[in-house]
Amino acid sequence: MKVPPAFRSTKGILGTAIVLIVLSIAILAPILIPADWATRMDMRARLSPPTWAHPMGTDQLGRDLMFRVLLGAQTSIFIAAAAVLMSIVIGLPLGLISGYMGRTTDNVLMRLVDTLLSFPALLLALTISAILGPNLQNTIIAIGIAFTPFLARIIRGEALRVAQMPYVEAARTAGNSDLRLITLHILPNIMPAVIVQATISLAFAILAEAGLSFLGLGTQPPDASWGLMIQASRDYLDRAPWTALVPGAAVALTVLGLNMFGDALRDALDPRTRGAA
Amino acid sequence: MSYILNRVFSMMLTLFLISAITFAVTNILPGDVAMMIMGTQSNPEALAGLRETLGLNDPLLVQYGRWIGGMLTGDWGSSLVFKEPIAPLLVQKMTASGLLVLFSMAIALTCAVPLGVWAAVHANRWQDTAASSTAMLGVSLPDFFWGIMLILLFARGLGWLPSSGFVDPAEDLGAAIRHALLPSLALGLGLMAHLTRMTRATMTGILKQEFIRVARAKGLNEGTVVWRYGLANAVGPVMTVAGLQVGYLFGSIIVIESLFNYTGMGWLTYQALLNRDIPLIQASVFVIAAVVMLANLIVDLLYAVVDPRIRLS
Repeated sequence: MKVPPAFRSTKGILGTAIVLIVLSIAILAPILIPADWATRMDMRARLSPPTWAHPMGTDQLGRDLMFRVLLGAQTSIFIAAAAVLMSIVIGLPLGLISGYMGRTTDNVLMRLVDTLLSFPALLLALTISAILGPNLQNTIIAIGIAFTPFLARIIRGEALRVAQMPYVEAARTAGNSDLRLITLHILPNIMPAVIVQATISLAFAILAEAGLSFLGLGTQPPDASWGLMIQASRDYLDRAPWTALVPGAAVALTVLGLNMFGDALRDALDPRTRGAA
Repeated sequence: MSYILNRVFSMMLTLFLISAITFAVTNILPGDVAMMIMGTQSNPEALAGLRETLGLNDPLLVQYGRWIGGMLTGDWGSSLVFKEPIAPLLVQKMTASGLLVLFSMAIALTCAVPLGVWAAVHANRWQDTAASSTAMLGVSLPDFFWGIMLILLFARGLGWLPSSGFVDPAEDLGAAIRHALLPSLALGLGLMAHLTRMTRATMTGILKQEFIRVARAKGLNEGTVVWRYGLANAVGPVMTVAGLQVGYLFGSIIVIESLFNYTGMGWLTYQALLNRDIPLIQASVFVIAAVVMLANLIVDLLYAVVDPRIRLS
């Protein structure tokens, strides 16, 4: 298979490499590393700077930061992926119907979506999480709902564009039903846009999870996520800045990788934006 | 004129929808205001009595009507945590946050526009790679991570600026600015990264257009071509993105104000959410959404001012 030019650029190669590495860590770490390595406390080495025994240092309870970050990857990535999936499951039919049906349906649905867009995504996610009670499942629901209007808006635009194409018109004249037109003729053609948006949303979802957990309204202990680790480091910043730097770097690297991957993916799938930032 | 009227009508409709969504979301809560006032261990009869007095037994639609009626007549109720009327509390906190939003927007725009233009002018050369990579890194770091780094560097390390707290500008302007500087910087850095990417993308497109080639062919110097001809055309799109980022900013201030203990709107909302102070949650969520919507409306109207080709219709 030929590799598209966008993925032969430094950005594309780096992004793909980072995404693959982080994904492998998220999948393999829980299998290869015993879970108690992340919770084992070494009271003589509390807040220890990076050493041979603890290459990334330890936290306030003497737990090894390297193992915590590696095992935390699964939680952070799982929450982000599940939340984005949820926003696609709700946003895709909404956007498709709105863009395809047009007129009143479109007006009503998009008015609702625009209103939801007035709520800052993080505020919406925080409110939903606070109301449902913070835990892993509700964090996914909160981020998923908060991201839905963005996806619905983008999918609606794409559906509108594709629905007006001559081949759709031809398929309609040939007597295809609305359902058949949407699922067989429109959906496959908006998938590239959905995939690109999903990649970019994934980056934002990881940031959102970190923000929610940082405020104590996301993942709760004993689950270990990167945001939770940064939150725990707040009281020890003076003495042990690495407790914040290690999980912070993990978030930054993952989001950076996803952003670069998403950019390359967009360039590869959408010729209109080739050459843009 | 009819455009403005249209927009005002549409704005009222959106405000109504915002209020309905806010009310609906906060009413899924298990437990109610009466329970929060009296505590979970309270006497069931007293609780029932309080529910009756507060009108919590009425149908939701009636309760919504009462809430929205109160909002319209200036009676926003009282906060359960702060034991204060909500309206003056919100005005005070909004002013504090307004300072942060203005500062961070100013920091972001003054850095992002020159940086983005510089990257676009040197497209695909080292300058572009440097600016774009920095911006990419900026977009990828959580705001609170910037905040932590800034506290470590400027407050703990160098001791130049306070690491937390809020001072009313009316009392001591200098101290107010010093306290607002680090949180604004933390907000502004992430925002700057977004705007740099946007400016670069817009300018790259513009610099490839015919009229730029004509301007160069006329022998105009490069400065005039880029800044007068190029940037003038990029202002609109960049401004629109900056306007859209106001929403992002109001999400971020919740995290940043909590981190810096800056007692503004974000801090207030966080306290309301943590303590399940429903009347305060409803009011602050509504106000933030309304402010974000207004900011976007203002940007839309300004668009016509900076770009005379746009006719509002």
